[in-house]
Amino acid sequence: MTSTTFNAATLPANDNVNPYAFSVDLNGQWFTQKGKMIAYYGQIRFQALSAGPLDMLVAESFHSPLYAHDWIVAEGQGKLLLADRGFDINSYDLDKGNLTIRAANLLAFEPGLELKQSIIPGFLTLIGTGRFVAASNGPVHFVEPPIRVDPQALLGWADCPSPCHHYDHGYVRGVLGAARMMFGVGGTSGEEHQFDFTGEGTVLIQSSEHVTSSDAMLRELEGQIGMLGVPGLRQLHGTIAQRLAAEQQH
Amino acid sequence: MPGYTSINAKMVQVPIGHGQDVYSRRGSMLAYVGNVDFAPTVTDGQGIGGAIGRRMAGESVPMMHVTGQGTAMFGHAGLYVHVIELTGDTLYIEADRLLLYDATLQKGTMFLGEQGGARGVIRGAVSGQGLFTTTLVGRGSCAVISHGGVIELPITPQRPIHVDPQAYVAHRGQVDNTLTTAMGLRDMIGRGSGEGFQLRLTGTGTVYVQASERKV
Repeated sequence: MTSTTFNAATLPANDNVNPYAFSVDLNGQWFTQKGKMIAYYGQIRFQALSAGPLDMLVAESFHSPLYAHDWIVAEGQGKLLLADRGFDINSYDLDKGNLTIRAANLLAFEPGLELKQSIIPGFLTLIGTGRFVAASNGPVHFVEPPIRVDPQALLGWADCPSPCHHYDHGYVRGVLGAARMMFGVGGTSGEEHQFDFTGEGTVLIQSSEHVTSSDAMLRELEGQIGMLGVPGLRQLHGTIAQRLAAEQQH
Repeated sequence: MPGYTSINAKMVQVPIGHGQDVYSRRGSMLAYVGNVDFAPTVTDGQGIGGAIGRRMAGESVPMMHVTGQGTAMFGHAGLYVHVIELTGDTLYIEADRLLLYDATLQKGTMFLGEQGGARGVIRGAVSGQGLFTTTLVGRGSCAVISHGGVIELPITPQRPIHVDPQAYVAHRGQVDNTLTTAMGLRDMIGRGSGEGFQLRLTGTGTVYVQASERKV
């Protein structure tokens, strides 16, 4: 196997360097997630979204205060190299389209796209025309609805209606099932809950990953806890304990 | 019966239908099309005796029974998935490496002492893999998970092979496996090569080795 030595001129322009690194030919501004830049050539400044001169840009393209401090703007000219946890990196071109993707897996996007929070927590929707770069655990597998997807294996979806939750407890039917329910024999399959996709479009699947602890999702949930009241909080306490036990088992 | 299709190195697609049910590691379903049911199981179709035996042997990874009509995709934690076809022979595999297998295959638990004698016992204890290993017998397919993919290495009587116990995934055929040590004075004083123990496989068959020393 030979390995090529790149320089500023020979690095690919807006293309993969290898399956795990992507080279952006920067000439202007790109939004990038914090910590995904591994190297760059040229004159590039990295600024927080709160920087004054970026107000206009942020107002036009970045509609998610929840994620604002996970993101920065790379500005200038040069080659910008992006990578993430050794995951496979892919770039996608949208032409007046929309695509929703797991927030932690979106690395960067052109300002021609608008970023919005999806109805599904932990996912971001990109709308408009432009290019973005995303990471996946193993290559991305594209499928068409109807399909049901494990939440941890879902990378994103394009053009189809938002998914709904599907709960499957078929195995608790019958005498054996009732015994299972009552005595907790046999445990759960871990596959009771899926996202159900219907309609026209494309669904993006990856090999399931341990969901990276996303601060944003936590903040989102914490923000809503106040509305639960004492009984709700008590129940949530139980749910969390159960879930924790199940996760530690796997 | 159409077999397993590898979608990519980390995902496998399996048709599910009448007489085409599979057992899979719990929580390893990625997506499915059609009416597919996932039921937790402790017996893996082996009967309660087998389940108790396996639990005692420490070769018990929670499995689920996948039935119904449709197509299901499986993968686990971004690990590489490798499909192995069995044609009536036996596959010896660590329980935690097994992602899924056809319900037509007979799953069992084997005491390592049966194959390697006292050395087999020592092997299990030293390599941290326990004294028992899981067996699959019959005709059908199974899928195993590994870090960085597996390579298949042939074993012939003329050419026994040595494998790092942590990189060992599975083997098949008429194979004796023993643990050999290359411990010397250097290891005693902590200046060893870190390759003190090796699995020595002799006979006729195939060994599956992963490209890493990490456990699942």
